[in-house]
Amino acid sequence: MITLSFAQKESIGFQYVLDALRINSPYGEERVRELKPFGRADRAELLRQLSNVQRVLEGEGGCQKTLDRLLRVFMTVKNIRATVQKCRETALNEIELFEVKCYLLRCSEMLPLFRELQPALQLEGISLKDTDGALALLDPEGNRVASFYIADGSSPLLRSLRKEKRALEEQIRRATGEERESLQAARTLVAAEEEHEEGRIRKELSENLRPYISDMLHNMEMIAEIDLTVEKARLARRYGGVMPELTEDTLDMTDMVNPRVLDLLRDQKKTFTPVSIALGKGAAVITGANMGGKSVAMKTIALNVLLTHCGFFPFAVKAAVPLFDSVYIISEDLESVDRGLSSFGGEMVRFNQMVREMEGEFPLILLDEFARGTNPDEGAAIVQAVTKYLNRQNAVAVLATHYDRVAQWGSAHYQVIGLKELDLDAVRKELAGRSGDAGVELISRHMNYGLYRVEDAQDCPRDAVNICRLLDMKAEILQGIDEILTNQ
Amino acid sequence: MKPTLRQLIAPYASVSIIGMCKNAGKTTVLNQIIRELSAAGCVLGLTSIGRDGESKDLVTGTQKPGIYVREGTLVATASELILHHCDVTREVLAATGISTPMGDVVMLRARSDGNIQLAGPSLTSQLATVREDFFRMGAEKVIIDGALSRKTLCSRKVTEATILCTGASYHKNIDTVIEDTAYTCEILTLPETRDDALRQAVEEMSDPRSILIAGDDGVWTVPTGMAPENALRDPRAAGARAVFFGGAVSEFLMKPLLMSGEKLEGLSFVVRDSTKLLLKQESCEKLRRRGAELQVLDSVNLMAVTVNPFSAYGFHFPKEELMARMEARVGLPVINVMEEAT
Repeated sequence: MITLSFAQKESIGFQYVLDALRINSPYGEERVRELKPFGRADRAELLRQLSNVQRVLEGEGGCQKTLDRLLRVFMTVKNIRATVQKCRETALNEIELFEVKCYLLRCSEMLPLFRELQPALQLEGISLKDTDGALALLDPEGNRVASFYIADGSSPLLRSLRKEKRALEEQIRRATGEERESLQAARTLVAAEEEHEEGRIRKELSENLRPYISDMLHNMEMIAEIDLTVEKARLARRYGGVMPELTEDTLDMTDMVNPRVLDLLRDQKKTFTPVSIALGKGAAVITGANMGGKSVAMKTIALNVLLTHCGFFPFAVKAAVPLFDSVYIISEDLESVDRGLSSFGGEMVRFNQMVREMEGEFPLILLDEFARGTNPDEGAAIVQAVTKYLNRQNAVAVLATHYDRVAQWGSAHYQVIGLKELDLDAVRKELAGRSGDAGVELISRHMNYGLYRVEDAQDCPRDAVNICRLLDMKAEILQGIDEILTNQ
Repeated sequence: MKPTLRQLIAPYASVSIIGMCKNAGKTTVLNQIIRELSAAGCVLGLTSIGRDGESKDLVTGTQKPGIYVREGTLVATASELILHHCDVTREVLAATGISTPMGDVVMLRARSDGNIQLAGPSLTSQLATVREDFFRMGAEKVIIDGALSRKTLCSRKVTEATILCTGASYHKNIDTVIEDTAYTCEILTLPETRDDALRQAVEEMSDPRSILIAGDDGVWTVPTGMAPENALRDPRAAGARAVFFGGAVSEFLMKPLLMSGEKLEGLSFVVRDSTKLLLKQESCEKLRRRGAELQVLDSVNLMAVTVNPFSAYGFHFPKEELMARMEARVGLPVINVMEEAT
């Protein structure tokens, strides 16, 4: 089972995607709150949900108005699941019957709209049940008004009690003093009998509603599903989602985006560089200098894999995703310090736990700057060994690192393009005379966060030194750095 | 001939009734309005601020009049009260989703005469929503039973007019009853500020409890923690014409200002509404003598005071004296509930 903590969902931008949904019905909202990734065993159900998103994208153009009307009805529905379930066991009170009636009125509005939509959308496994029989019980006169009243005609006894009560009320209106008080007392007795008879009628109504309960609950599930499917389609259109191919063990994504980072950069008038990566079983390594966007690439991979498992279209131009049993993200900034461990210790504890748990599973493993919190010599050794180990496991693993000599142990090596394709002299000229912060800003603007696949053995690019140079580090120090690197 | 309650409220589509204390005769006034207006065929919408209308007073144990409505009346009250304490025949019209300790507020139409109990919304915005729902459902007049004391206020945002109920239950000394009632009337009817720049700044303020000073250079937000007397001396307060207090104005806040030699003449002290003014009468008087004016953003349209000469604690005042002195002091129509009620 794929389980990620809230902090992880937040960090990879999954929560951002959920928050971007504009769900219309309380049942849809409930579905989003309880959203769980599908596992390998649920492939058929996942495919059904994904293909329904595709059907909405293809079909909605022809029935937009009707669909909008259906969504507007969704907005007026209340969540009365608990009330409907309660009706199985006991009699509903008048306020509950009122709410059931309102719900049934909405269902009655939805049904013809859905029937009109279905030929265009062809949604698979979605149907709305006709519950007008239940509505007739609560609206015997068929006036379809959203109010609830136990009519005088519900029983001869009720009719005669109300008549008696009314006669007393007429007298009370004219009476004063003691006479009024004795009439009030008489009225109270009749009102109690009325209450009792109404109780009996409510019990009878509730019993008569029982055969419709499963249909009412079914419709709630369907409202949730239609609502969420339409919203998934809207997000796919907004951020460029694609119907994924579900594979055995290949993770092949072209031009993925991460909506959270995309929107953040857009607010700063910057653009997001899409991430492409093709992975099979084994451990792939992403290298690049700090400031180079390795973390964003990792988060974007995690996000789109998780979205696919939840029945969302991944945000990519092309996507082939295997179904994983579990997803592990280990990143120093997500390790909680409240466990009393150093961030390095916390990372190792999480890693060991993962190694134990992944036994017999097919997981996706994302290690972001693993072991960066320790000294570089040991850190590099740890990451090299971990890469070597993970490369032999039944898993798709991605390690982002700036340690050298790691890539040789992996199945594939990606590098952040970074400053590689840049005319450094031109940038230096542009930077001249700018203060520190503006310099960092300018470099990040010139940084290419895209990934490219490295075919031959190659170490981390020396972008860190280039950045120091661009930021106008004292020449003497720069010279020292060059000397040390050459001597190595 | 003195105007009756019904004549007094005739011009207003929404009216609230508030009390100086328990047993001031609020429910008596409410019942009287209900009886007279319903008999005249007017469709009423009834709700309350929070809970009221128990058959017995929970504090003193005295019998309280219940609320008895006529067929056709619209009522907004908590679901538990509807299910267990209302004996009218009911048509449920809407569930508002506004929650109270006694369940959500539900709107219903009385399909017979009978007894009801009220526990309505407690927020101004919710009360305004319910009022509009009432009108949509066909109410011709909305009556809101106000809370005890004046903790939640029926400013003109909620009801067009307000009745204040007072009486012997407030205090055993007739002078205290009259003076305190008069002071309450005065505070409730403080004028609304006409300083549009200040109003605009209040709308835009980030911390709702800040102090603002309107002066020559526009409206300045006083840094948190700076006392008003120091703020007025700040160059940024040059030409100050109004000081707005986002939070409550207490003696503690105003004493140092009154003691300082600061020139207050021509200054307006503005609060959101009169519930935010926690000053003793004496301090208000001092401010006024120094030439400052107290103002509010939202005022109450107080149109009458009702008095109950009988105390729940077993004594009563001579009604003629109470009426005459109260009328002379408050400058508003004063009505004796016990007389009109018969």
